[in-house]
Order: sequence, then C-alpha cells, then structure tokens
Amino acid sequence: MSVLEVKDLQVELMTGTKVVRAVDGVSFHIDAGETVTIIGESGSGKSTTAMAILRLLPDDLAVISGEARIGGQNVTGDRKVIDKLRGRAVALIPQDPMTALNPIRTIGRQMTEAVRVKYPDLGKAEAKARALSLMEQVHIRDPKKQFDAYPHQLSGGMLQRVLIAMAVSADADLIVADEPTSALDVTVQAGILDLLLELQEQTGIALLLITHDLGVARLMSDRIHVMKSGVFVEGGAVTDVVDHPQHPYTQKLLGAIPELGPWEDPALAVPELAKEASHG
Amino acid sequence: MLTYVLKRIGQTVLTAFLATATVFVLLRMAPGDPAANYAPPNPTSEQLAAIREEFGLDQSIPVQFVTFLQHLFQGDVGTSFFFKRPALEVVMERLPYTITLAVAAIVVTAAVAIPLGVWMARRADTAKDLGANIATIAGQSMPDFWIGFVLLILFAVQLGWFEPAGFTSASSIVLPTVTIAILQIALISRLVRREMVVNLASPYLTVARSRGISERALTWRYAFGNSAIPVVTALGTRFAAMLNGVVIVEVVFKWPGVGELVVNALKQRDFPLIQATVLVTVVLALVVQLLVDLLYPLMDPRVRLGEASS
Repeated sequence: MSVLEVKDLQVELMTGTKVVRAVDGVSFHIDAGETVTIIGESGSGKSTTAMAILRLLPDDLAVISGEARIGGQNVTGDRKVIDKLRGRAVALIPQDPMTALNPIRTIGRQMTEAVRVKYPDLGKAEAKARALSLMEQVHIRDPKKQFDAYPHQLSGGMLQRVLIAMAVSADADLIVADEPTSALDVTVQAGILDLLLELQEQTGIALLLITHDLGVARLMSDRIHVMKSGVFVEGGAVTDVVDHPQHPYTQKLLGAIPELGPWEDPALAVPELAKEASHG
Repeated sequence: MLTYVLKRIGQTVLTAFLATATVFVLLRMAPGDPAANYAPPNPTSEQLAAIREEFGLDQSIPVQFVTFLQHLFQGDVGTSFFFKRPALEVVMERLPYTITLAVAAIVVTAAVAIPLGVWMARRADTAKDLGANIATIAGQSMPDFWIGFVLLILFAVQLGWFEPAGFTSASSIVLPTVTIAILQIALISRLVRREMVVNLASPYLTVARSRGISERALTWRYAFGNSAIPVVTALGTRFAAMLNGVVIVEVVFKWPGVGELVVNALKQRDFPLIQATVLVTVVLALVVQLLVDLLYPLMDPRVRLGEASS
C-alpha cells in the first residue's frame, strides 16, 4: 500500500465571483522512503495540491473532490479523518519559516507542544528531552539555548530546522515539504536539502516535495510530476523527465535553466545597443 | 526598564500638572462668580467681597496660581468651597465608588466582549456573524444616558428588581454597570473580532494546524495570544477613561462617585474641588496606562520598552 495515493484530485477555488479549477484531476502515489516532486511555475496548482491533501484550505474557499488516501484513509471527505492524521501520520514543512511559528511563544514550548500531539502521555521533562534530541537531530547548534529562544531571535535557516524537527517529531509516514527552501538564502538551502535527505535515509519517510526549482527536484526526487495549469503534463523517473523531456512545457522549463559558458553580450557585437544601454 | 518607568512617571507628573493648571485658569476665566453661590440670599457687595477674600478669589489669577502651587507642593490641593473640608479628602471619599463601578464595568466588558469577539471571528462572514455585528453596531449607537433610563424604567420602576437610584445595597451596582458595559462590549468585541480574523488567517496558525494542534488551542493560545496587545490596550484605555468619572451614568443613577461629585462641583463653582478631581483622576488614568504598557513585554517578547517599536 502506498503511503499516499491520489486519484483524480480536483480543487476548485472560489475567488469572489469566479470559480477557478486550480487542480484539475491529478493522480499520483508515493511509496515509503520515496520522494515525489511536483514541479511547476507559480499558479500551476502545485501548492494547492499539497494544501488540499493536508486539508489546509478553508472550506468556504476551496471545494475538493476526488481521492487522496494517506495510509489508506481518504482525507477528501470528512475533516475528522485528516484531523486524526495531522501531526501523527502526516506533517508539513512550510514555505516561509519566518512566519510559520507563533511569534509570542518560545521554540521550546512549540516543540514540546508538537511532540505531545503524537505522544500526549509524555511528561513535561520527557517531552523536553525528546524536543532537545530532535533539535540535535536536525543539527541545531546549542539546542538548550535555542529551546528558550523566541522565533524572532533565530535565523530563517535555523527556524526551518526547527520546523523540520517538529515535522519529524510526529514520526509521520509522509512529510509534505511545500517549497521548503525557496524563502532561504542559497547557501542555507543546500544545508536544508542535505538535512532532508539525511532524515529520509534514517527514517524511511515518504516525501512529497513541491518546488519550482529543477535543481532541487533533480537532487531530491525519485519521481517528478511536471504541473501546468492544474494538470500533470509529464511525469516519471527523475532521470527520464530531466534527460528526455517529452512535453514542450518541460522542454521549455529545462531550457530556462541558465548555463555557465562563454558569455556573448549582444551589446559587444552591436555598438548601437551598447550606446543605448549606457544612456538607459 | 527602570529608566523607562522613571521617565514615564516624570511624564505623568508633568501631564497632571499641565491638566490641573489648564483647568485652574479656565475655571477662573469662565463667567460667573463663585461667591454668589455661597453668600446668603440677596447679598450685599461687602458680603460677596468678604467671601471672595476668604476663597482668595480677590487676587489676580497669576497670584492665585502661585499660591495654589505653593500649597500643592506642600500636599495641599485646597479646601472645598462647598464642603469646607480639604478637597482631596472629599474626592478620596468618592473615589472608591467610581473605582468599584469602573472595575465591575471593565470585568463585565472583558468577560462578554472577548468570547463574543472570538465567536464572531470564528464565524466571520456568516449569517451569525452578521447578526452579532448588527447587534454590536446597535449597542454602539445607543447613547448611554438613554440606555440608563431604559434600564431604570424597565428593571427598577416597572419590575422593581433594583433600587432606582443611589448606592443602597450591593445590587445597586448592576444597572449602572450594565449601562456602561453595553457600549464598551460593542466596541471591544468588534476590536477582538477584527484582530482575531487577521490572526486566525495567519501562516503560523495554518502551520500549527498541520501539526495537529487542536482548534481550541489554535484559537486561544495562538490567535488570541497574538491579539492580546490591542485588546488589553483598549480595555486599559477604557478603564482609565471610566476612572475619570463615568459622569452621565453616575448622574442618571445618582451613583455617589467622582463623576457625580464633579457635576455638582461645577454647578456650585467649587474651584478647589474641581481641581482636586482633575488632579486625582488624571494621575489615576496615567498610572493605569503605564501599567498596561508595562504588560506589553509579557504579552509579546518582541516588545522592548523604551525603544522605538519596529
């Protein structure tokens, strides 16, 4: 049984007077230990797909149909199903770590709170010990000190590590990572991706990765689905999609990656352009 | 922190002084002669002059002001023309009544307005929210003296549940409290709703929901915790304003507080009593504001007192 099995998922978003079909019948699955990436441009519906699976879209703004089974349980119907799975069987790593934590409570209190969702019987000291060991696991320096810090006292990269620790605290079967590095500096991004790979190796967790970054997708994924205007235009093993793109959109996406090579500035060849540029 | 508190206390003293000085001058520039209120019927000009001399009103305003300041620095705010007793003493006798009424009103306001505002925010843009919205706009639009009279007629006169006026038993506080609270509940609940709607839609709340945090914890620990500063500020400001005398309500219900006192003092042109009332209530209001500000760092760790807010 797949950890996540999505069949003909549709999401309609109410925007004022219009109804937009943001996700138009996508199907895919993720097995244990696998990373599946949905890649696409802004507005392609990739994040909406992830948020719909987690049921984090407000009911009055989004109508979901089709099936999404997490550990065999369909979450697209009654909200009670996902309420029991969140923080236990499925966890989220959000896009922007800077706004993802409660600003008025310490990292430690939010960590122990997260730990206790899955293990409500843990005492205060036990929950703290587990929180500290999780923080160590995600390579947060001096976890004891950060435990008492407030979110605004930590850098974006450190906050993302805290959020990853919280996601890991659930001992979930599936982690949804929604653009986990796009709000971070390039140098920090690599560290976070390394950490995700390391954790996946240790725990065998399944990962649904949402990204617009082909480099990230190529590094992380087992399989890729290319999304455009609410539908998957292409999908398959990462090497197939990247090396032999079939769909023109995928070819365009790949073509958009700048390559390092000899730099030919048109301005050098056409003197008039150089003149114009210097006046502009 | 200590520097901040000292600075604020200095500001309080300065503000209280300026307010009292302004009132001192304005009272004496206003038309009407206090002496006429305290002389026997059909007084002779000698009798009036004698009273003016007794009250020190025969001096020029600057001279009176200097005398007033001299006494003030010795802790003497003046003697009430009407009561013939130290004005401060008279105010202090009435203050507990006003404080009691203000505390009762603010407690009732907070106890009703906060859950109501949260309830409205959680049902934002539904029919129930609209209904509550209309009710609060109605509450906001009714003048307090009118609410007071309606409550009086209904519950004191017709139903006879409460004494109509004055302070005769513990239940006397009910109608004035309700009268004040209706307007305050309308204002505060709408503020709570507005703040909660923003915080309930914030990213950290969605991420916490993804961690399986219960809706109750999300509402109170997350969204309300982050709405606390504006709500507590508003409650503090309202409370401070009530300490200045809930004048109209005190008059309607003949509540023996500072508000009722100051209305009578104005009628009788009892200058020292008015000055004492202004001084006491201004200081109290500023102290309440200071206490509210000192709560900020407890409500939000990002707030550092004495620094420019970022």
